[in-house]
Amino acid sequence: MAGVDVTVEVCGMAGDGTIAAGGLINEAMSAGGLSVLGFDSYPAEIRGFGRCVTRSRIGDEEILALGDETHVLISLNDEQSISRVPVLAKDSAVLFDSNPPIYVQEEKSLAAEVDPETMLFGMPFGDLATSAAGTARGRNLAALGGFAAVCGVPPDLFHLVITAKFKSKGEKVVDANLKSFDAGYAYAKERFADCLKTMFSGPGRAEGPEKVMLSGNLAIGKAALDAGLRLYYGYPITPATPIMEYLAKQLPERGGAVVQMEDEIASIGAVLGASFAGARSMTATSGPGFALMTELITHGVMAEIPAVILNAQRGGPSTGLPTKTEQSDLHAAVFGGPGDSGRIVIAPTNVAECYLFTVKSFQLAEKYQTPVVVLTDFFLDNRVENLPVPEASEQDIAFGNVFPDDSVKGSYIRYLDTETGISPRALPGMEGFAFSATGLEHTERGTPDYSPDNHMKMSDKRHRKIRSALRDLPMPEEFSRGGDLDVGVIGWGSTFGSVLEAVNTARSRGLNVGALKITSIFPYHADMIGEFMGRCARVLIPELNYSGQLANLISHLRGNDVVRLNLATGTPFPPSLILSKIEELLKAGA
Amino acid sequence: MDRAHCVIIGNGPAANSAAFTLRDNDPDLRITVIGEERDHEYRPDLLPDYIAGKATEEDLFIGKSESYKGHDIKLRLGQRVVHADFQQRELLLEHNEVVRFTGLIIACGAKPRIPEPLAVFEDLMLTLKTPADARLWIERLARVDTILIVGGDLTSLSLTKALLHLGKRVVFMLDCGSFWPVPFSPELREQVARKLTEHGVEVTECTKIRRISRISDHSFEVATDRRTMVVGILGAFFGLVPNVKFLAGSGLDIERGILVDEYLKTSRENVYAAGDCAQVYHPEIRDYWVSIGYTNAVELGKAAALNLLGDMVAVNVKRESILEVDGINVNSSWWMEF
Repeated sequence: MAGVDVTVEVCGMAGDGTIAAGGLINEAMSAGGLSVLGFDSYPAEIRGFGRCVTRSRIGDEEILALGDETHVLISLNDEQSISRVPVLAKDSAVLFDSNPPIYVQEEKSLAAEVDPETMLFGMPFGDLATSAAGTARGRNLAALGGFAAVCGVPPDLFHLVITAKFKSKGEKVVDANLKSFDAGYAYAKERFADCLKTMFSGPGRAEGPEKVMLSGNLAIGKAALDAGLRLYYGYPITPATPIMEYLAKQLPERGGAVVQMEDEIASIGAVLGASFAGARSMTATSGPGFALMTELITHGVMAEIPAVILNAQRGGPSTGLPTKTEQSDLHAAVFGGPGDSGRIVIAPTNVAECYLFTVKSFQLAEKYQTPVVVLTDFFLDNRVENLPVPEASEQDIAFGNVFPDDSVKGSYIRYLDTETGISPRALPGMEGFAFSATGLEHTERGTPDYSPDNHMKMSDKRHRKIRSALRDLPMPEEFSRGGDLDVGVIGWGSTFGSVLEAVNTARSRGLNVGALKITSIFPYHADMIGEFMGRCARVLIPELNYSGQLANLISHLRGNDVVRLNLATGTPFPPSLILSKIEELLKAGA
Repeated sequence: MDRAHCVIIGNGPAANSAAFTLRDNDPDLRITVIGEERDHEYRPDLLPDYIAGKATEEDLFIGKSESYKGHDIKLRLGQRVVHADFQQRELLLEHNEVVRFTGLIIACGAKPRIPEPLAVFEDLMLTLKTPADARLWIERLARVDTILIVGGDLTSLSLTKALLHLGKRVVFMLDCGSFWPVPFSPELREQVARKLTEHGVEVTECTKIRRISRISDHSFEVATDRRTMVVGILGAFFGLVPNVKFLAGSGLDIERGILVDEYLKTSRENVYAAGDCAQVYHPEIRDYWVSIGYTNAVELGKAAALNLLGDMVAVNVKRESILEVDGINVNSSWWMEF
C-alpha cells in the first residue's frame, strides 16, 4: 500500500452507539488531515432492533467511493458483525468484546467465523468503560481507544473530537467519555504490544484549509441557507428528514421558517404558493413522498411556478427499503405526473455537488419558472466527506427572476411565447402586472383554453423553455485521455464515484477506458453524450436500479447499443464490480 | 442431526497432523483447530535461521489457509482455551465463547521452562519458542552486541550459531544440572564447552545469578557469584514444560503433562492428548515418557486422530530410545534431527 487507504467499520445493534463511534472515527481522521468518506447503514426501526454499520474509508488522497474490503472491524455486537466477515480483507484486524454479559455459543461467535489471517483483538469493552467511568455506556468509546492503539492513531485526535462532540452535554459527560476512551487505549497498548499495526502512523494535526465533515443532507441544508431560502415545507421521511431537522434549527435564526405540513401534497402546495409569491422555498422528500407530490409538481410545470424539490431516493417501490440506497426514481423524477410535464432534474455525484447544485437549483427554478428536482440517494445523503467549507459566490446565489419590463405595465402577458420559451414573470402585488395562473391549459395571457392549436403551441413553449435550460445546466464531464476508447463508462449520482474509481484503476493498468459524468439528467446534453458514446467501442452504464433507468433515457443516442450493469441490492456500488465488467468487456472485444 | 465435531487444541505439528489425519479418514467430521498463537504452523527448528536472516517467513511458515479450507478444517488462530468441561463436552475460550465437541485432541504443546531460582528474572529474559519470540530477538538484536545465554538446551546451540553468524558476541553460561533433553554428563559438558569456545563463544562457569540490573533500555548488568558482566540480551534456555495450566481443575489426570495411555487416551472419554503436552504410558518400562521433537509430534498426532476414530494404534517407542533427564523419561526425535 503506497499510502493510506483503509476502510474501518463499526458494527453493532441499534442502541450500541455504533453510529456515534463511526462519526468520531471520521472526525478524528479528518482532524488528522486525512480524506474521509463515511457511510452509515442502519435499520428502518427506530431503536433496539437490527444491525447498524458505519463504514469509513480513510486515505491520504481524495476518496471517490466506499472500498470493496474492510481492513478494520470494530464489533460492538458479534452476532450482528458476523455478516461483515465476507467483506473483511486478508490480514484485517477485528476488535471485539471479549467479555460479553453472557457466554456466546460458537454459532453466534464472530471469532469463530473469521479467517485465520484476521488479527483478533479481544477487549472487555464494557468492563473497561465501567472501571474507568463508572458506567458501561462508554463501551463504544473504550472500543475506539482500542482501535486507536491497535491501528496507530494518535489519541489526542480522539480527545479533540470526543470533547467537541460531548461538550454540549457538560463536563461530566466529556470526562466520562474521555476516560472510557483512555482505558481502552491503555489496555490495547499494553495487551497487544507485540502486534500493534501502524495503519495510520501518518496523521498528526491537519494543516491547510479548514475542512468540515459534511453529509450530503447537511450540505443540501447549508446550501439552501446560503442561497437565501426563506421557507421550507416538508413532511419527515427517510432519508431526507435530516435536511428538515437542520433547517428547523438554522432557518428561524435567519428570519425564515420551517413548517411541518400534514403530508407531502400539502408540502409541495405550500412551496408552490411561496414561490409564486417570490420567496425562495423548497421541500425535501423521498420516493413515496415524491409520488404524492407529482400532480402538484406538474401544476408548477403548467402554471410555470418555480419550486425546488429534493428527492432523496431510497429502495422501492412503495415503502420499499427505507434505509437502503437506490437510484430508481429517475423515471419518476423526469417523467412522473400527468401530461407532458417537462421539468429540470439534476443529480449531484458527491457531497460538494450536493451543495453546489442545491444553490444552483433556486436560480434555475426562478429563471426557467419550473420545478427543479435535485435527485440524490440514500448513500449520497447519508455519507459524510470532509471537504473545505463550501461557499457559494454572489453569482451563484443571485436571483434568477426574469421580471417584465415596465413598458408592458398594463398590457402584461404572463405566458408570452418567446424564442427561449421563458416569459417574464411578475410577482403578486406588482402594480399593473396582474395575471391569472392556472393548472388548466391556458393562453399566453393565462386564460383557460383547451383548443388544439393552443395546447400544441403552449406545450411547445414549455418544452422549448426546458430545453433552453441546457445552457445553464452542468455539462457532462469526461475523465479519459481523450480520443477513441475501448470502454466508456457513464455514471450518475452516487454511483459515479465508484465508476471513476474503477476507471482510474483500469487506466492505471494501462487500459484504454474513460468515464463520463452526467449530472444534468433532464434536459440532458444529448450532443455531448452522443459524441462520447460514439468514441467508445463499448459503453457501460452501471446503475443502482433494476431496470437501468439512465440507460433507458440515453441509450437511443447509440442505437440502444449500451451494456447495462444494474444492482438492486440497496447498497452502494462496489468499484470492483465495475472494474470486473470493464475487464470482461475488454476481454470479449479482444 | 448435528455433525460430530472434533476439536483440536493447538496448532503445532501434533495438532495439525491430527487434524489432517481425521479428515483423511472421515470426510463428514466437523473439525476445528484452535491455536493460541496468532501465527500459522511453523517449523520451530528454523527459528534461529530466521533470526540469522537465513530463512524467510515463507520457509518458516508451513501452514497455509488454503490447505485448511481445502480440507474443510476450521482453523482459529490467536484464540485461547481457558477451561474444559469434560462432563458437558464444552470448551470455554478466553473471550467467553463456548465450543461444544464430541471428540477432543489436546495438542497444546509446551512453553519455555524457567527454573524456579530464575523465575524472578523471567521478564528480563528472552526465550525462543515461537515466531513472535523470534521477532522480538530480531528487534532487540538490532541494538545490542553482547548476548548472554543461560542454561542449556538444543535451541540455545542453534541460536548461538545464528548469533555468531550475525557477528554478535555470545557469552554462554552452561548449566550443570541438565542439558535438556539429554543427560548432561561431565564429558558431554566438556565437549560442548570446547566446541563453543572453538567457535568464539565465551563459555562461563556454571554459577548462580544473584542480581540483574537494567542499565538502559538495551543493556543489563548481570552479577553472578563469580563475576559481573554487561550484556544486551539475556536468553534463557532450560527446555520446555507442557502448556496445560488451563486444564487444572478440569478433572483430567495431569502430572507433568497430560497422562495418557499408550493409545494416547486421557482419563476422559473421547479425549486424547498428543505432542509435547502429553505424558505417554510405556507398558514395558511401566512409566510415563514425554516426547520432544517434530517427528515425534507428527506421529503422536496421527495416532491420536486414528484412535479417536476408533482404531487402536499404540505408540511404538523402543525402550532404549527413552532417556532420563531431571528424573523425567524423554523420547526426543529432536536430538536426532539436530
